[in-house]
Parts: sequence; C-alpha cells; structure tokens
Amino acid sequence: MKTLIVIPAFNEADNLAQLLPELRKISDLDVLVVDDFSSDKTVEVVTGLGVSCLQLAIQLGAWGATQAGIRYAKRNGYNHVITMDADGQHLPQELATLVEKIADGPYNVVIGTCPQRLSRLKKLAWAYFKLLSRIKIEDLTSGFRIYDKRAINILSDKAASLLDYQDVGVLLLLLQADLKICEIPVKMELRHDGKSRVFSSWLVVFKYMLQTTTLCIANFGAKQSK
Amino acid sequence: MTTLTIFIIGAILSVSILFLVRKGKMHGPYATWWLLVAVCAIIVSSFPQIVDWIAMRVGITYPPTLILVVAISLILIRMLTMDLALSRKEQKIRRLTQRLAILEAEIKESLRD
Repeated sequence: MKTLIVIPAFNEADNLAQLLPELRKISDLDVLVVDDFSSDKTVEVVTGLGVSCLQLAIQLGAWGATQAGIRYAKRNGYNHVITMDADGQHLPQELATLVEKIADGPYNVVIGTCPQRLSRLKKLAWAYFKLLSRIKIEDLTSGFRIYDKRAINILSDKAASLLDYQDVGVLLLLLQADLKICEIPVKMELRHDGKSRVFSSWLVVFKYMLQTTTLCIANFGAKQSK
Repeated sequence: MTTLTIFIIGAILSVSILFLVRKGKMHGPYATWWLLVAVCAIIVSSFPQIVDWIAMRVGITYPPTLILVVAISLILIRMLTMDLALSRKEQKIRRLTQRLAILEAEIKESLRD
C-alpha cells in the first residue's frame, strides 16, 4: 500500500519549515509539496528538508496544485493520496485516523472535518450549498482528505482540470462516478498565520459563491450522495 | 448610401482577412468564419432585395429588423464559442503546467541518482 501526502503550497515557507519535520517524525508516508508559483523561499525550504517538490511554472490555484500532486501519484502508482494544507491547521497526528478509516472500507474518499472550526458565516454558506447540491457532507471545503485509487483516477482526469477549488465541484465529480464518501471528525489547529484562501475578502467570497452556485445549478439532477 | 457603406466594409474586411491569413497571423477556422461574414456583407449590400424578400417570407414587416436580429444572434453564438475555446485552452494550459512540473521533478530525480 503506497500512500502519498500531497501538500499544495503558495508562499508557505515558514509554515512548511514547521510542518515538514513534524510530519517526518510522526509518519513514514511519502510527502510531496506542490509549489504554486510561490514568490518566497517555499521551494528552497522544501528541497532543503529533502522532501520532493513539484514546481508549477504558472500559478494554478489550490486545486490546480493539488491535482498536479494527484496526477503525480497516479503516474507513480500510489494507491492512496492524502491532501492536507500547508498552513498547519491539519495535524500530522490525525493522518492515521484517515488511513485507518479508509482501510476499513467501504469508502473511496474520507474527509477529515472539524465542525468547531466553522464560523457562523461559513455554516450558512455550507447549508446553502448543501441544499443546492444535495451533497450530505458537513464540511464541504475541508482539504484534509484521503482518496483511494478510483478517486485518484477520476480526479486526475481532464474533466477535473477546469475546477477551481477542492470542494463542491470535486465532490460532485466523485459522486457522479458512484464513489462512496464519508466524513470523520478530526482535531484541527487554528491557523498559525495567514487566512483562508476562500474567505479572505468580500469580493473573493462573492465570486466564490457565484461560481459555486452556477456549478451546483449546472449539476442539478446528477447523482445524490448517500 | 447604407448599402454602399456595408459593401465597402465587406470589401475591406475580406481583403484584410486574406492579408492576415497570407501573413500567417490568423488561424484557419477563424479566417473562414470572418471571410464568410465579409462575403455575406458584400452580397447583402449588392442585392438589398434579398433582405426584403426573406423578411416578407418569414413575416417581418420592417426588413432591417431581420438584419439586426440575425447579426446579434450570430455575434452571441460567436462569443459563446469563443468562451468555449478559451475554456479548452485554459484546461490545456493547466494540464501542461502540471505535466511539466511532474516531468521536471522526474528529471531532477534521475540526475541525482
């Protein structure tokens, strides 16, 4: 069983300098950092610690970077991919929770969620999207996930390349392919520094809500989650 | 007078298109589309009766409306196909970028061994 941890990173040199040694101590899984055209020393820090690093030549955003990692995993014959954020809010100690849950089956995707981390505003947004998309998942944007081989194949496909976020669009794709998704509660750290990429400014939030709404409407009538 | 203007626009357009294709500045399918537009402009301006005749057949009392409706519809369709083409390009660029990153990492890996 080969498992790869994919960490998309955009200007996360300081956070990665903390996270990667911790990861090394706790787990012996392969780690791959995908640098999303950072302007700081992200690449130097990562390669300095002896961790593999993909360098994107054009900025693709969080999902584009994650997908690059997933495609790398597919190419190199990994059975599972774990995605986690570079900012330290996903704890290396919780990796085992995800790995065990997916090993027990029968799920293809396990999402680590932390209900307490959601602000009231986010809860409202998620309730809206859940209603619109019929996805019965508590935390739609949690980037702390493990994917199995089938999910890897679907997500490395062309169809997933025009998505912008690792959230509703990705879940809809997986559900349409009849994959089983489950959530498992995990502990999460509040962000060390930096803010959520999606919820950073009102304009970005507005754009995100509008885009995701369109995506949900376009997928009306597609498979529902169980 | 208007027909003359449209005729001149059509003529200039077709000459420019042919010139651009000759200079290798415009990709095949786009050139064909624009040339077709230019030819239509020339035909319609040379024989304005065509518009009147078609308008009468489809039941439009004021023929210029027909030109406007058809023109705007074609522009909208063209814009839609342009956005489709742009999305396809975006997808290709993203996948190329990812692939480049993966291959680059592999080259570095093999150089280190």
